Amino acid sequence: MTAVVVTLFALGGASLARADDLPTFRLEMNNGKLNPARIEVPAGKRIKIEVHNTGTNAVEFESLQLRKEKVLAPGAQSFVVIAPLQPGEYKFFDDFHQQAQGVIVAK
Amino acid sequence: MGQVMFIVWRESVEALLVVGILHAWLANPDHGAKRGLPYLWAGVALGIAAAIGLGAALVGFTEVLSGDAQDYFQTAMVLVASVLIVQMVFWMKRNGRTLKRDMESSLQKNHDQGTWWGVLVLVALAIAREGSETAIFLYGLGFGQGGSVPMSMWLAVAIGFVLALVTFWLLQLGGKIFSWRLFFRVTEIMLLFLAAGLLESGLDRLISLELVPTLVDQLWDTSAILDDASPFGSLVATLTGYRAHPSGMNLLVYVAYWLFMWALLKRAGTPAKQVKPA
Repeated sequence: MTAVVVTLFALGGASLARADDLPTFRLEMNNGKLNPARIEVPAGKRIKIEVHNTGTNAVEFESLQLRKEKVLAPGAQSFVVIAPLQPGEYKFFDDFHQQAQGVIVAK
Repeated sequence: MGQVMFIVWRESVEALLVVGILHAWLANPDHGAKRGLPYLWAGVALGIAAAIGLGAALVGFTEVLSGDAQDYFQTAMVLVASVLIVQMVFWMKRNGRTLKRDMESSLQKNHDQGTWWGVLVLVALAIAREGSETAIFLYGLGFGQGGSVPMSMWLAVAIGFVLALVTFWLLQLGGKIFSWRLFFRVTEIMLLFLAAGLLESGLDRLISLELVPTLVDQLWDTSAILDDASPFGSLVATLTGYRAHPSGMNLLVYVAYWLFMWALLKRAGTPAKQVKPA
């Protein structure tokens, strides 16, 4: 059990290091409001989106198309690393506030 | 929200089924078994406490883990939840028919020996089992992963539980109109779809963690027909594993899952051999 946890942390550390110097975009989620709701990113490159929950409810950054799900407690912040994208539009939303719909545009 | 309600509803009905059968037997004046009732309620309390304990441990564990470790843990939990659902469906298929008879004969034994601890343990285990399954499923659906649970989610849990009470009452009342058999057959199929949804969501996480290849990034795009980023579409996605932009791996795993379930169902459909008492 301990070995498993240590391995998990090691794996976690490895991909943290990998995520360090990527083009980074900031996204604020606040009780169902997205800022910005449209994020323009370069196509064909790994990118990182820093997600900040500035609201008072839990939020979930979710995109089935990008295969990402991240739940954030109020005040929490985290990030998602997205594999190189083909040019195009990729939708994401807040699964806990479904009126909050955003789009990532890869050019 | 809908998934939360469904899971709480179905799991509560199962726990209520066990409690209901035991209660009906114990409360029946012919058996003179009323002394067993306090043990029944103590078992209920114990089972609920055990389930809450597991839920709290899950949330606590998440808070300790950081960054990607949390992703790995949550991926594992989603996949565990998916396997648990399938296992539960087939367990109920095998044992559902004899559940009542088995329980009553073990009650008769308790009664003859004058001990009621067996009732307590039986009920506590039934509730802890259904309750902890509920905790794992809810966790797999994102419940509590943010360290707190929104009010609307608690509402969904409450509605699910009230629906279970109503269902239980209706099924007790109108055995002629509604049948347990039909109830379980319909919810079985829904559960298998939900397990497929959890499996696809676990697979997405594995792909996202780059542990599994996509094979083909995007096979097709049906977002014009049903967009999985819309509220309704994401509900369908959770409940069935639907993807508007499936990868090759998504489709492969989905087809393999249903072939496997079809084989299992076919096997479960053939009448089980009677086990003769030794």
